[in-house]
Amino acid sequence: MELLLQTFLNGVLMAGVYALVATGLALSLGVVGIVNFAHGEFLMLGAYLSYLLFAFCGVDPLLSLGLAFLAAFLVGGLTYRGLIRPVLRAPELNQMLLTFGLSVFLQNLALLLFGADTRVVAPPYQAATLALGPFFLGAVPLGAFLLSLALLLALHAFLTRAPLGLAMRAVAQNRLASGLLGIEAEGVYLLTFGLSAALAGVAGVMLSVMLYASPTVGFLFTLKSFAIVALAGLGNLKGVLPAALVLALAEALVSTYVPGGGGLVEAVFFLVLFLALVGRAWRGA
Amino acid sequence: MRLEVQALETGYGKAQVLFGVDLGVEAGELVALLGANGAGKTTLLRALSGLLRPWKGRVLLDGQDLKGLSPARRARLGLGHVPEGRQLFPLMTVEENLRLGAAFLAPGREKEGYERVYALFPRLAERRRQLAGTLSGGEQQMLAIGRALMGFPRILLVDEPSLGLSPRLAEEVLLALKEVARGGVGVLLVEQNVALSLEVAERGYVLEHGRVVLEGPAQALAQDPRVREAYLSL
Repeated sequence: MELLLQTFLNGVLMAGVYALVATGLALSLGVVGIVNFAHGEFLMLGAYLSYLLFAFCGVDPLLSLGLAFLAAFLVGGLTYRGLIRPVLRAPELNQMLLTFGLSVFLQNLALLLFGADTRVVAPPYQAATLALGPFFLGAVPLGAFLLSLALLLALHAFLTRAPLGLAMRAVAQNRLASGLLGIEAEGVYLLTFGLSAALAGVAGVMLSVMLYASPTVGFLFTLKSFAIVALAGLGNLKGVLPAALVLALAEALVSTYVPGGGGLVEAVFFLVLFLALVGRAWRGA
Repeated sequence: MRLEVQALETGYGKAQVLFGVDLGVEAGELVALLGANGAGKTTLLRALSGLLRPWKGRVLLDGQDLKGLSPARRARLGLGHVPEGRQLFPLMTVEENLRLGAAFLAPGREKEGYERVYALFPRLAERRRQLAGTLSGGEQQMLAIGRALMGFPRILLVDEPSLGLSPRLAEEVLLALKEVARGGVGVLLVEQNVALSLEVAERGYVLEHGRVVLEGPAQALAQDPRVREAYLSL
């Protein structure tokens, strides 16, 4: 029983970061309408930024969070301007090939620059744990969970209160009408893409401590995010957190209870994606 | 404020729809734009608000040529458009829809806007927290007009507000537009319901195959034998 609860706790803590990354993906998909296979590479950018700042300047990852947000926002904005905007009206397949190509390019660029080794950021508090009765909570996963939740709440407030947030939802729901109300879709797309990247960048910093930075760390999260977004329903931001919880719990359960589960964990999202798509097709029929 | 259209020609792809339309709307008047299906009424409104690029001719707002300006820029200059099919934000509440109407066109005047819209359409006040997609057809039309009014346009283009509404509701909506015009807004109203729109309008234009074939005071148009035969089936 205690093992089960501990497993659940681990799953819940992981769900926050998953939700953060997947929300970014859902934003660019729902508002801009772009299937961004390079979403995880913004995460990788945040992870390496955190690693470099820590290794060479001794910057605490907590400070890197803000920097990674800004850096990823900037890179996301530039990516939109340079690559995404020209293909906005192109067929979807072309858009996907472009973002997929960007993903492959960035992964190999990281491989060239940093090598294939995984890099871990190890601040003094990395291994700290909090004992909660019979259970143990890693300080870093707990912090990452709370921070992710805070960021998602802030995003929610932004989307429901701020004029620019309302404009983002408006453009997602009806581009024609938002234009007639004085909203330039162009600016909203730029902002959305930057924000989407920024969320991934922040998650990257968290993962540089919880997991590692490596050239391929982002792509794994791209795939998991797609599973979460498919489960939540395309364009449904509110569904992302519960869907992330489902995936994280499933992974935690497999890791604890399936013999040799550690190696199978990274395949769980395939199962989740598969079941989500089959379920949707079945319900839609 | 005056909206002026000079020799406007446009269309879709190679299909020309408008063949040189001249038309004007002054602040405070309600002008009806009449015509059969396919005459080019909606196309004209789309060209005015920048959703469609004119091939030839000019659109002037207080003498300023709107050529090349995006719909958003035109909206900020005071040109409102209630488009065909209402085009609400279905997953947002009534109040959020209204708020978006003001957010980028009249920031700071939201309170005044709500008061004006709720006074004009009290039913929207009752449904404030309801999602726009769940409103009835009539309420959706009221919301579409209300949302455009939140931006305090000085010229308002309205496309087929009575479409799909019961005769009573249609009359209610058109009388509300009359009220808007009395408040100093120039309203250009596209309607299939010719009898009703000539009752509320001061002037009217009749569009046929992309050309203005008749124009004048609404009363004169209602008496014109061609209008009576073609549109009022009398």
